Amino acid sequence: METMLAVENLGKSFKDKKIVSNISFEVKKGEIMALLGPNGAGKSTTIRNIMGIMYPDEGSITFQSNPKKGIPRNKIGYLPEERGLYKNVKVMDILLYLAELKDYPLDRAKERALELLKKFDLEGKDKVSVEELSKGMGQKVQFIAAILHEPELLILDEPFSGLDPVSQELFKNEIRGLAQNGTAILLSSHQMNLVEEMADRLFLIHRGTKVIYGPLDDVKKQYANFKCTIHGVNERSLLESLPEVERVEQNEETAVLYLSKDVEPASWLKNLPVQLDVQELSIDRISLHEIFIDIATDKNLLKREESLDA
Amino acid sequence: MRNTKKVAKWEIKRNMKNKTFLIGLFISPILFLAFYLIPDLFNNSDEDAVSTTVFVNDQLGVYENLEMTVDQAGAEWELQPTDSSEERAEEALESEENTAYVFIDERAFEGGVLPVYQSEEISPVFINEVQLLGAPLQAMQIEELGLTPEEASVIARGVVFEDASAAANAETEMGTGMDEDLMKRMVPGIFAAAVLLSIVFTGMAIFQSASQEKKDKIAEIILSSLTPSELMQGKIIGYFVLGIIQVLVFIVLVLPVLVWKIDVPILEYLFVPELALLLFIAILGYLLFAALFVGIGATMADISTAGNFQGMIMMLPFTALIFVGPVFSDPSGIWAQIGSYIPFTSPAILILRLTLLEEWPWIEIIIALAILIVSVWVFMKLAGKIFKIGILMYGKNATPGEIWRWIRA
Repeated sequence: METMLAVENLGKSFKDKKIVSNISFEVKKGEIMALLGPNGAGKSTTIRNIMGIMYPDEGSITFQSNPKKGIPRNKIGYLPEERGLYKNVKVMDILLYLAELKDYPLDRAKERALELLKKFDLEGKDKVSVEELSKGMGQKVQFIAAILHEPELLILDEPFSGLDPVSQELFKNEIRGLAQNGTAILLSSHQMNLVEEMADRLFLIHRGTKVIYGPLDDVKKQYANFKCTIHGVNERSLLESLPEVERVEQNEETAVLYLSKDVEPASWLKNLPVQLDVQELSIDRISLHEIFIDIATDKNLLKREESLDA
Repeated sequence: MRNTKKVAKWEIKRNMKNKTFLIGLFISPILFLAFYLIPDLFNNSDEDAVSTTVFVNDQLGVYENLEMTVDQAGAEWELQPTDSSEERAEEALESEENTAYVFIDERAFEGGVLPVYQSEEISPVFINEVQLLGAPLQAMQIEELGLTPEEASVIARGVVFEDASAAANAETEMGTGMDEDLMKRMVPGIFAAAVLLSIVFTGMAIFQSASQEKKDKIAEIILSSLTPSELMQGKIIGYFVLGIIQVLVFIVLVLPVLVWKIDVPILEYLFVPELALLLFIAILGYLLFAALFVGIGATMADISTAGNFQGMIMMLPFTALIFVGPVFSDPSGIWAQIGSYIPFTSPAILILRLTLLEEWPWIEIIIALAILIVSVWVFMKLAGKIFKIGILMYGKNATPGEIWRWIRA
């Protein structure tokens, strides 16, 4: 797969504070690459450096393996985290202006704008003033503006924030469709469930540095161990004495047992002692969401922070 | 440059579709016309109302002379000859308004006093106006005395006291300033001043446009397609064109009225080579203030939260007013020169001085222009630096300290 964007050893400081350092990743044609991290981790800073809105202090950003050409702005679609539209203009006018800034032919832009508006349930809103749109409608128009000019690389900073579940689904499908048609997509989010469903690869960033980088499935296999949740009154020492248990979190009658990586769930269950009080028991893998929370709250459940091979 | 043009085009289109802007576009020339024409309208109707019918019982055969005198003086009189006697006149006046009877007979030579009978309702200035009739009668008196024409003219001239101080002289010159030479200089000067005022006022909207970019949070979307300096330049050019559109609307609405009302060949005086220099000064003035406004606009989250610092910068175009008085009284004086060398006052002061002065001080003009051009360049550079950072700073106003840091960066 062709690499559309390569970030190498990116570093950026404000005053004396290092916001991001030593960030490296790639975004390839037709894939959805997720940039994850808690608030203030440096996601938007990384993206702003890619877009040329800020200038990196260290490292390099290369588009389509061509380090000499600057940013191919016409081929990039960008949905910033801080986003809005001019208030007192018509929807179609602003869409055409933004397409014009991307050098996209006007008649094609008009045609596509109408198509997309229809697709996003905004048919007939093209002549409506932006200030009359609801917040959700505004978000849709911004998304349309980002993809109207058929970008080869689409950068979406928190695209799902403020969307209702129906619109989220709509955005998700559209983003997937774009990736299938060969668009390279860099998506930043802190909504892990959505990312888990969509991303091909992910880059987890915390305090401006890399935590995890690799294909989603590998990350899950490597980091998402099994955990067993037991409802019932049990002694903590009993729980801790069970085989393959790395850590126990107990809260009144509920205990969560974090199991080691190599555990075989079926045989582990078979070997549970009879004196264990089990009202309810479930066993599943740690979700991306939990990994994320874990990292963000510095519990360091994950001891290994080395990267997987991308 | 292509992106700059796109931004300029967008700013123009956006404003031309905006009702507030369109109303503003027409309201100022209409207000101007209203202020110009409405007093005129009232004046006319006033005069119509007080047009006085003056019956003249002329025993001396000077009626034609009187008619001429009244015509020349432009008094709103309707002169009519009559044979009515003084008693009959008094009776008739009881039922009349705005009417007077003047009796011209031998008494003019005997005592020099002629009786006038007026109705109760009459213009208060009538009794002053009626003194006009004294001149032709005095001429007759002098003739009666059999003096030589020279002697006659000496007497007729009378004695007048005149204020001889310099200021008064200047004022008289200004007063009689409708003379051709001054008009010739005034017309292009006033036009250039109108252009300057118009584009600077429209330019103030740049400030709002720049802060709107932040308020609407669209700056980052726009900046993903072009550079901050392209956006800034596009705005400056766009609002310049809008200012020119304002001037054109003004010309189309106001100029025909002025040409019709003022008895001066305005168009002939307007299109002279001097106009080019005056307009050049106006454009430099615009660029200077546009750079200021766009830079400051980018530092503000919202126009309503403007701090003192920002407010002070908005006032800079008006500092020229401080110099207007001194420059009027002495267009080549020290204040006029200082005003020409301070970039913020220089455009307005230069235009004012070049309008007042007969001989243009070319060396001063060239120095002033050089200062102005360098300032425009410097302020554009500074505005670019401020704009680049300020436009992406959401939710708060930049402090002067922060702005200073951006400039030094």
